[in-house]
Amino acid sequence: MTQEDPVTQTDTMVNVAPIEIAQRRERPQSTAARETVFDIQNLSVSYGKAPAIKDVSFEIYHNRVTAIIGPSGCGKSTFIRTLNRMNDLVPSAKVEGEVLYHGVDLYAPKVDPVQVRRRIGMVFQKPNPFPKSIYDNVAWGLRVLGMKDNMDDRVQHALEQAALWDDVRHRLKKSALGLSGGQQQRLCIARALAVEPEVLLMDEPASALDPIATSRIEDLMHELKNEYTIVVVTHNMQQAARVADMTAFFGLEVLADKSRTGILVEYAETDKIFTQPADKRTEDYVTGRFG
Amino acid sequence: MRVTLQEDLDTLQASLLEEGELVLRALRGALNALREADAELADEVIAFDDEVDQRYLEVEQAIEALLARQTPVAVDLRLVLAMLHINLHLERMADYCVTIAKLTKLVAGLEPDSRMIQAFEEMGSRAEEMIKVALEAFVDRDVDEASSLVDLDELIDRANRRVVRQVLELDPELSEWGVRMLLVSRCLERIGDHAVDIGEQVAYLVTAEFREFTDASHPVQGP
Repeated sequence: MTQEDPVTQTDTMVNVAPIEIAQRRERPQSTAARETVFDIQNLSVSYGKAPAIKDVSFEIYHNRVTAIIGPSGCGKSTFIRTLNRMNDLVPSAKVEGEVLYHGVDLYAPKVDPVQVRRRIGMVFQKPNPFPKSIYDNVAWGLRVLGMKDNMDDRVQHALEQAALWDDVRHRLKKSALGLSGGQQQRLCIARALAVEPEVLLMDEPASALDPIATSRIEDLMHELKNEYTIVVVTHNMQQAARVADMTAFFGLEVLADKSRTGILVEYAETDKIFTQPADKRTEDYVTGRFG
Repeated sequence: MRVTLQEDLDTLQASLLEEGELVLRALRGALNALREADAELADEVIAFDDEVDQRYLEVEQAIEALLARQTPVAVDLRLVLAMLHINLHLERMADYCVTIAKLTKLVAGLEPDSRMIQAFEEMGSRAEEMIKVALEAFVDRDVDEASSLVDLDELIDRANRRVVRQVLELDPELSEWGVRMLLVSRCLERIGDHAVDIGEQVAYLVTAEFREFTDASHPVQGP
């Protein structure tokens, strides 16, 4: 670090230099070009008169894990559900703004929600396998969508991608309900992957699992991002820090009528969010100084 | 509010400041032993280093436990990392005090040069001031105060270079004493460098950017 060489330095050689930035520790930035999958512009969602999220704008990138973090009620789940039109199933939900998926507005009148959900799959907090065999759980989406060629191969491939094949290869015809919680969640991931989506949305995918099963899901996310774009909602900040490339922090804003709505506070590389957050609200949240 | 984390951070900072006080005592003892040619006091300084080492180890272990259990992030993480570095810098300063004490014992019985002994007293006082400024800047999270260490360090560096010239001018019969004193001078100069490094950690803690205040390998050339 700061050193003087008493032999070679003399008074005349040395100026008292102004303090200069001699060396910065630059954080490594990904040099790979980012391809935008979702371009979210001024997105607001409300349920009846209650606003859930307001004026959210950011881009989600291809082959990245993007984590959505924030306190309860900030609209994390509402947000992720707009990415594959799951909110269509809530009659009172009203979506404003645009969700552009490869430049196409997902909420344009001609867009078929079924096709949207085929390309943008979803995994939920609680594993929800159908009360059918393991095989039929994975094959279900394929049958619905008419992807009936090479069915066995497709099922095997999806189970392999979900790191479940070795666990279940000898009991494919057994009920999925006999699997452990962690296995059931990986089965749900296999079910989502079977129809060959581009994007996998995960809403608290590990919050109902024990630490070992959680670790397997996190490892899986790390592998799957090579082929898929993953968006994950998590309450667990350390999980976001471990698995995500990009992190969006949603916070709460009190509106003029005293109602509260979710807003996007900060969106950046995960590394930055957890080391040098730009917004004080983000720093307070990640360091646990909120509330 | 993460109460336990905050308490742990406060406790760590207090331990580090106490370690700083121990280092200041060691330095004062080493300087007095040198000035008075007091071998007994030099032995005390050498033995006293165990206390600094003990405190260093406690801080190190507390940081390890805090990282494992609290997983601090952002400003909390920077504080922990800064304390990890400051702990090491303080421990190294104490080691230089031990070296000065050992050199004092080695020159027992040799004729000193009173002019140089006075110069060491001045260098030592500057080193003490730098340690205090570095720790105050840390407590106050004051980047300007931390940056002021560069100018203070320049004064010690100049004094060190003067010692080199003075030793070269010494009578031949004083040469063994002079060579030992070169090392004393070097120790005091290095203590100043470690104080500057603590200042750099303060700047990192506050600004979230690590920077060296000066770069010895790429010095700014004078006119």
